[in-house]
Amino acid sequence: MKRSRLATAALIACGVLLALVILLPFLWALSASLQTELALFRRPPDWTPNPPSLENYLYVFTGQVPNAYNVRGLLRSPITQEARVLPIGLMNSLEVALSVVTVNLVLGTLASYTFARERFRGRETAYLFILGSRLLPAMAVAIPIFLIIKALDLLDTKIGLVLIYSAFTLPFTIWVLTLYFRSLPKDIEEAAMVDGCNRFDALRHVVLPLAAPGLAAIGAFSFLFSYDEFVFALFTTSSTSSKTVPVMIAAISVNPDASYTLIAVGIVLSVLAPIALALVFRRFITSGLVASMGRS
Amino acid sequence: MSARTGVKSFWSARGAGSSTAYRLATLAPVLVLVAIFTLFPFVYSAVTSTHQVLLTLPDQTPFIGLQNYLDVLRDSSTQNAIKNTLVFTLLTVPCVTVLGLAVALLLNQQIRGFGILRALVLLPWAIPLVSAGIIWRLLLHGDFGALNGLLLQLGVVHDYMSWLSSPNLAMYAVALAHIWREFPLPAILFLAGLQLIPGDIVDASRVDGAGLWARFRNITLPYLRAPLLIVLVYETMISVSVFDLVYVLTGGGPGSATTLFSWYAYATTFTFLNPGQGAALSFIMAAFLLALIIMFLRIVRVDEGEA
Repeated sequence: MKRSRLATAALIACGVLLALVILLPFLWALSASLQTELALFRRPPDWTPNPPSLENYLYVFTGQVPNAYNVRGLLRSPITQEARVLPIGLMNSLEVALSVVTVNLVLGTLASYTFARERFRGRETAYLFILGSRLLPAMAVAIPIFLIIKALDLLDTKIGLVLIYSAFTLPFTIWVLTLYFRSLPKDIEEAAMVDGCNRFDALRHVVLPLAAPGLAAIGAFSFLFSYDEFVFALFTTSSTSSKTVPVMIAAISVNPDASYTLIAVGIVLSVLAPIALALVFRRFITSGLVASMGRS
Repeated sequence: MSARTGVKSFWSARGAGSSTAYRLATLAPVLVLVAIFTLFPFVYSAVTSTHQVLLTLPDQTPFIGLQNYLDVLRDSSTQNAIKNTLVFTLLTVPCVTVLGLAVALLLNQQIRGFGILRALVLLPWAIPLVSAGIIWRLLLHGDFGALNGLLLQLGVVHDYMSWLSSPNLAMYAVALAHIWREFPLPAILFLAGLQLIPGDIVDASRVDGAGLWARFRNITLPYLRAPLLIVLVYETMISVSVFDLVYVLTGGGPGSATTLFSWYAYATTFTFLNPGQGAALSFIMAAFLLALIIMFLRIVRVDEGEA
């Protein structure tokens, strides 16, 4: 069936519109991060930085105060020290997120494979218990979780965050991976086990190589969840050594002293890692999402 | 082979087996971790919500039964938070669902270059919610927001509007940011559903003269029933518990115009320093969401059985 030329043109126009709706907010943040604050306050503002300047980034990474900030046209202090900690926050976020990914890949894989292939009493209860817990709203459990972390003496540590995020990502990981393992043919594993492999050997030598796409998907999910999470990080961290990026940029954005260009720098820095990950892993993310929810 | 991996054979599979110790070793860490961080908080909230806990009187926490629940439910600010959350949910869920469906229908077209769109569509969903909120703060800001600049340039407004600090507009502003952030997930789920529709059915109906609307109504929609249910339940859960966006966009204001339920529970505990009532509010929300979660699991599991 051929579409008419007019219909194709209309569809392409819709596609362009969609791309603009998605991208323009990002591009505006990028543009604002390359401007001086005075230029940003012009009415209407300069849509593209004129000329673009990396001074805001330079300030965040080296502490060199941009010349433009010496002009005090606005009745407030135009710069905040808080933005200087962003590079540390980025490292904290990456460390936490990668640790959670590791926990998910190790503990999640082991547990999912047992769920998928072993038969024992209480299996269905355990499985449902894990799944049911996956969608509890953060705000409903935030205070008790703060108390747990306090009792474990892990307040204001990255380890505390890794524990919380692992507990909240593992259910989803197990959901996706159990489905994934079940979809793999059992024959080879069984043959291997007849030949004397135990469950763990079968997992390591037979199943894992086949499961790479599923593992990539859950790796991406647990990374994004941990990197993006805000409420628990807000409640349990207090110093620069453990605050993650969302907590830092939220603090900067509600700080009346912060320059809007520096806020824009914060946005740009905070979205780089998840955007790169989403683009590189998009096939696995899409199929993982569909496998976990869109079973139609 | 595929028949052997079906649901039935999975639950009755008799593997060559391994020791109880291996099962315990692989399951225990996960079960313990999840139990600590979900069961305990649940029990804790339940207990706290039945005591009078005031941060101003840390040593006196008498048991007061359901008094906290009665107090918060009678409180007009709770009713305001519930009303706001209801309005927000009714604004966002239909928009997110319809927009997701429209985007999926568009992305399902075989047009050169649309592959890039299918990748781009993930971006708003992948970034931190806080970043999405701050991006929209830059766009909607009353003093220098890009939207104001654009409308001024186009001559639609003569002076900058304060979208986020106007009681009438702030709710729409938060909803707009939420919709931008949330539509990718439904779009992806619907797109997957669309790709399952056999091409020959569509072709046959076209030969029979079915119009665009008839095809959508009689072929597309029935195929999308399952993803539609999942999207509606899931997005309702997300909308009801939204917090991060309110935190960076409006702080619940102006006044209490965007005080959604999560934000209200947070403010009750930390601004009004009343953890007992805060826990009662959290528990009300958790109970409501638990009902949705059970519904969600039922839908997903029923589908599995049918597959």
